[in-house]
Amino acid sequence: MEVTWKVEQIIKLITMKTKGLIIAIILLATNQPTIAQNVDINGFVRNYTGLLYNNGEFNMLQNTLNVNFEKMGDRVAFKANPMLYLYGIDSLDFRLREIYLDLYFDNFDIRIGKQQIVWGKADGVFITDIVSPLDLQEFLLPDFDEIRVGVYAAKVDYYFGNSTIELIWKPVYAGNEFPGPGSIWYKPPDFPAPPTFDYSKEKIDPSLENSEVYLKYSLSSSAIDFDLMGAYTWDQTPSMHVEKQFELDSVDNSVLTGLLITPEHHRLIVAGGSFTSTIKSFVVRGEAAYYNGKYFQTADPTADGALTQKDYLHYVVGLDYGVGHLKLSAQFIQKYIMDYNDFIDEEEFGNTMTFLARYDAMRETLHLELFSYIGLNYGDALIRPKVTYDFSDSFSILLGSNIFVGDEQGMFGRYGDNSMIYTKIKYSF
Amino acid sequence: MKTLKITTVLVAIIIATGFASQLMAQELTGREIVDKVYNLPTGEDQTSDLTMTLINKSGQERIRKIKQFTKDLGDVEKSIMFFQSPADVKNTSFMNWTYDDESKSDDQWIYLPALKKTKRISSDSKSDYFMGSDFTYDDLGDRKLDDDTHKLMGEETIDGVDYYMIESTPQDEEYMYSKTKTWIRKDNFIGLKKKFYDEDEELLKILKIKKFEEISGFIVITSSEMENVQKNHRTTMILNNVEINTNIPTSKFSERMMMRGM
Repeated sequence: MEVTWKVEQIIKLITMKTKGLIIAIILLATNQPTIAQNVDINGFVRNYTGLLYNNGEFNMLQNTLNVNFEKMGDRVAFKANPMLYLYGIDSLDFRLREIYLDLYFDNFDIRIGKQQIVWGKADGVFITDIVSPLDLQEFLLPDFDEIRVGVYAAKVDYYFGNSTIELIWKPVYAGNEFPGPGSIWYKPPDFPAPPTFDYSKEKIDPSLENSEVYLKYSLSSSAIDFDLMGAYTWDQTPSMHVEKQFELDSVDNSVLTGLLITPEHHRLIVAGGSFTSTIKSFVVRGEAAYYNGKYFQTADPTADGALTQKDYLHYVVGLDYGVGHLKLSAQFIQKYIMDYNDFIDEEEFGNTMTFLARYDAMRETLHLELFSYIGLNYGDALIRPKVTYDFSDSFSILLGSNIFVGDEQGMFGRYGDNSMIYTKIKYSF
Repeated sequence: MKTLKITTVLVAIIIATGFASQLMAQELTGREIVDKVYNLPTGEDQTSDLTMTLINKSGQERIRKIKQFTKDLGDVEKSIMFFQSPADVKNTSFMNWTYDDESKSDDQWIYLPALKKTKRISSDSKSDYFMGSDFTYDDLGDRKLDDDTHKLMGEETIDGVDYYMIESTPQDEEYMYSKTKTWIRKDNFIGLKKKFYDEDEELLKILKIKKFEEISGFIVITSSEMENVQKNHRTTMILNNVEINTNIPTSKFSERMMMRGM
């Protein structure tokens, strides 16, 4: 009776929201034994509380419910993964992160629906891993399993020997999600004149012509795992076409009075690959991609829309090492813009490193971790120490910090005011 | 996470043979006895459910459940494990390929469902403990015959059963154990107890076999316990639903299956 009352209260609360009906159905489903008997249900509930160092304000008060509904058969399977984020006390954000059907055949599988697709061998950097866009509304801080956005796609995997060919057709465009005004992660550039935004060209309508296609060949062998990929895609970050607006002053001089900024996505062709192999206690990893047709912001006065089109190479090499309970990992990442000129609003070589040290103690119930991004161009960094203690197999507490240091021109240093300490309390079921 | 061949594992430490009576008549060296133990038949393939219980000094328990498949393909043995509990590792899978060629390291991959990523991992750290248990990967069967020098120390009769007493000393002086002592039954080559000594030659752990069964003509250890006597915690391993020679398809041991699950 009490449970029923609680469910009714929850439903009443939720249905006040626009997307409430879907959530209510999900919550009801979890209370139906007949469904639960046939469908595997697991997930977690998590409290995430963050506090900024510089002013003591809570920048994160988040409660999350993540539920996986899975059913697997010999020839068909499905998965639905709704996530419910509650910010503060009444701001609900519902996301159906994945919902797809799997069809299994002798030599190939098909997956249709909204899905997250992960490619490549690098950790924490996205080079050939471009099928699923990123939710960057909280910069790079969310766990990497939560930072990717599900995409509507049909995926076919064909298997032969130790090889796989994967073909993905993405008919509905989904781009990276960025923080908006009001967010502590929103850092607009300094405009020389007041900007006006025209978003009329930003949307990409779902159509056959606007589809994206991705192809990958991969091999797992005793000596090495590698893959080769190609993509006909959209740039997941819109290019900002800038039109300068002038007026004549009292002495007939032309004066810059405004900027008309039109965000627009452009097509990209990407080719690349990745590999991983082991040498004694070391794991060696590499990943590279050539991007053809990327638009970069430029100060060249002759450039149309303040943009110039260039190709660039993005690659990473990494090394993992483990001894006892200690795991170490390092990666060097470089982005090289070809046919570079000094007008381009980005470095010719963008160099970054990552480091990871992890130590498991007390029979793998206490985990100490230090992960950091280091921007080599500007000497800035994001340093992420954390300690996790597993009170039981299903209940853990994490205490961590995100520390931004260095030059404010760097992609990490610019968030110097956002350094924070946080806790995550998680119950898995 | 490293390789695990739980069934072959404990078998490797202890096992039985039908040729025991013939062997008894011969004068065997320590190496020959252990060689017999390491190379006894275990079937072409095997499926089982493993329940591993970690018990701390206060008696609190943490339970891990794993479904595992193993297949011998001649020059390579492949195994794949699917973690069923606890909840935060559910659907994680682990695959291992072990080669007969002793100069070749194992190949190992782990699939992390939250990250949707299969990662190749190094198999070199055999002294790591498996999932926070009291078993290292070496304890679970990764150890090679000539990694140690095996010496027959004598014979002993306990409760009317005759045992060989074998002392094994590692070739690598830096190894985590200074020596081990194993009690192997003379009548059927089942070892019922093994003691592990740390680098200071102090007793560190004791392995006891609680139960073994004959399944499809093969002896399988279905219940065992490893106790760390220095830290006063222990781990039990119980195998259920053991099936041998069911002709598991080779395609089961692939990244495709790691990602798909059982």
